[in-house]
Amino acid sequence: MSELRTQAFQAPPDVDRIQRVALALGGVALLVALVGAVVDTEQFYRSYLLGYIFTLAIPMGCLGLLMIQHLTGGGWGMVTRRTLEAAVRTLPLMALLFVPIALGLSHLYEWTHAEIVATDRVLQWKAPYLNPTFFVIRAVFYFGLWTTMALLLTKWSREQDATGGDDWRLRLVSGPGILLFGLTITLASVDWVMSLDAHWYSTIFGLLFMVSEGLSALAFVILMTFFLSRTPEMSRVLTPKRFHDLGKLLLTFVMLYAYLAFSQFLLIWSANLPEEVTYFLIRTRERWQWLSVLVIVGHFAFPFCLLLLRDLKRQANRLAMLAVIILAMRFLETYWLVVPNFRADQMSVHWLDVTVALGLVGLWLAAFCWNLKGRALLPVGDPYLEEALADGHH
Amino acid sequence: MLEKAKHADPPETRFIAPGHTFGSVTEKISSAVLTKRTPVSWFIGFAVGFALLQALALGVTWILVRGVGLWGLNQPVGWGFAIINFVWWIGIGHAGTLISAILLLLNQKWRMSISRAAEAMTIFAVMCAAMFPLFHTGRPWLAAYWLLPYPNTMSLWPNFRSPLVWDVFAVSTYFTVSLVFWYTGLIPDLASLRDRAKHRLLQIAYGVLSLGWRGSARDWQRYELASLLLAGLSTPLVLSVHTVVSFDFATSLIPGWHATIFPPYFVAGAIYAGFAMVLTLMIPLRRIYGFEDFVTMRHLENMAKVMLATGLIVFYGYQMEAFFAWYSANPYEWFMMKNRWTGPYAYLYWTLIFCNGVAPQALWFKKIRTTPLLLFGICMFVNVGMWIERFIIVPTSLSRDFMPSSWGIYHGTRWDWMVFVGTMGLFLTCFYLFIRVLPMLSIFEVRTLSTSAVAKEESGHA
Repeated sequence: MSELRTQAFQAPPDVDRIQRVALALGGVALLVALVGAVVDTEQFYRSYLLGYIFTLAIPMGCLGLLMIQHLTGGGWGMVTRRTLEAAVRTLPLMALLFVPIALGLSHLYEWTHAEIVATDRVLQWKAPYLNPTFFVIRAVFYFGLWTTMALLLTKWSREQDATGGDDWRLRLVSGPGILLFGLTITLASVDWVMSLDAHWYSTIFGLLFMVSEGLSALAFVILMTFFLSRTPEMSRVLTPKRFHDLGKLLLTFVMLYAYLAFSQFLLIWSANLPEEVTYFLIRTRERWQWLSVLVIVGHFAFPFCLLLLRDLKRQANRLAMLAVIILAMRFLETYWLVVPNFRADQMSVHWLDVTVALGLVGLWLAAFCWNLKGRALLPVGDPYLEEALADGHH
Repeated sequence: MLEKAKHADPPETRFIAPGHTFGSVTEKISSAVLTKRTPVSWFIGFAVGFALLQALALGVTWILVRGVGLWGLNQPVGWGFAIINFVWWIGIGHAGTLISAILLLLNQKWRMSISRAAEAMTIFAVMCAAMFPLFHTGRPWLAAYWLLPYPNTMSLWPNFRSPLVWDVFAVSTYFTVSLVFWYTGLIPDLASLRDRAKHRLLQIAYGVLSLGWRGSARDWQRYELASLLLAGLSTPLVLSVHTVVSFDFATSLIPGWHATIFPPYFVAGAIYAGFAMVLTLMIPLRRIYGFEDFVTMRHLENMAKVMLATGLIVFYGYQMEAFFAWYSANPYEWFMMKNRWTGPYAYLYWTLIFCNGVAPQALWFKKIRTTPLLLFGICMFVNVGMWIERFIIVPTSLSRDFMPSSWGIYHGTRWDWMVFVGTMGLFLTCFYLFIRVLPMLSIFEVRTLSTSAVAKEESGHA
């Protein structure tokens, strides 16, 4: 490991190709979606929220994982750090992409309509929190905070490549950062998703939202890590042991999500309170119930069983394939989370749901690839790098 | 699986003081058991524990004679000290399981020096916890009939939809697996004691207990497989037991009990309380028995960090409860929260916030994490805070529920306190007996951290 140099760990040229394809695909999809926005404005905003929540999960989950790995150390964090960093540096773009949601509030949230609030005592009670002005102020605050943390962490990490040596500032930001991250993401989940049904509430929701973002991020990171492992330099670092660790982490997140989701279900089902149980009544009605079953099987049972296999976790290509399935399931789960608020009676898929999501993911992926280039794929200046990569000991 | 000490480690980050060999480790830990000179502090501690145990005996006897009416329970507060103490003790046990199971699966070698005492703590804590459900039944000799599954021809009981029945399964599984895990880990050390004991009776006793362990390669291979399997079995228990305990409350409709955050928040609280108790026990022990070489500052610091992390999750739970009490727009939820802040138990609520939320923030500072006395102080706050947390949850909600006409106030009676303090006596008595007759640190695991093990590994690499 003595020849660890920045030059040796550059992003492969394939990244360029992905960037171009993603940008082209995303651009076309968004242009088509804009046509849809003219035809059916309300549907456009609803589909946009779905696509946005799904896409944002990846950089936000990466921000959480980045801070966790600065605090805990370990080989998995070392080999994924640059992927995580490239992902969190897309947060300014995600802040920009939030603007349409702020513009389309009245198409999305019942509580923005004064005439509905006037007849609804629950919405009146919540009005000091759920009102358009405060909603936007909060969003600005969240993105300000997340972007600041993301840019500071990646800036110092870049400096470390040149200077080497331990940078205590990374931990100094990550410690309190993870706290602020947890609180803001909880409130954001209330603002953006929970308040779609402004009468419903569940105290575990923020935690569940956080873990689901972590799961999205980890699946994406595994996919990227597999992709990068095909270059000769990285293949020496990204051994089966590394993928084994990442696979175990993925299993943990799959189980954690299922644990939290089941806890929420059991408690709400058991109490059967009218203001809470509607959430599950809608989602077990008509065709929605089949989506519920699909999420249980595809989001939990299937990956859970496969991830128990040691060989699968150590084979990067298979693990990456599973990561793709999990990302697909993450989209379905987000769909299950968001869309029943708009189409409670019957599940149906609007073409805009898919188009906008494709557009946002494409745009985001292009930004990610752009961020990935230009820096070494490993934090070459980190003094713990060699120790973390010394195989078999950690 | 037995991760070797890494030679790349600089000395200050090792989990054992430098210079220790296989021999010196075995000698140091086993001599605490085999010595004829019991430290004076042991007698003092045991006497205190044994005296408190008498309170349990007295309290339980009188409760069996006169009935559980001696406790402060009445309308409207039908759950009180018994469930509070039960949850408190069960929670404490979780650190032992986390250390021995999850940290083993995660290859965290620092667990080796503290796992034995922590596992013992788990077992004794579960025993103490079991006292409350057992004696709250009034006539425990009938409890088997009420709680254990039997051909349910009457379709009356047990009610399998009740989390109280799940508790019986969860806790009894937990106790069994913990005990088997702990004993399996003891076997190689019992054999060491057998080999080192001078007295014939001790040789026989430890010989029988060590189940014919010879230390052959095959013995070790089977041992390691068994440990790994038991660790895998125990891992879900770290989550499941306290999740089921949280269901006792959360499946109900009582404001302050019915919250979906309860399962993860209870589990985090359990680990938080457990690590506080492990530190409460280990900080004096390492000093008295001179085990600072094995339970190093780095151990204390790591445990403090786990406490900080889990404590923050618990604090997050408090904040969620408060925020959603308002956000729910449910007048009963919101009243529950205001009642906690300003009602008759408000002084306890704010003590709780200080003990569990404010005081542990000191653990952000390395200086405090590495000063045993200060760390011990923080742990005491957490021990108290976690008890108060359960008090805030249980009687505060019950004493003022939906109908103001049936409000009431609850306090533990002297019999409540006597039984609670008595279980502390049971715990201390068991723990003091444990450190006197069994090695309180795992001899063979600490050996793998020693300089000899490092040297052996290096020669193996060459």
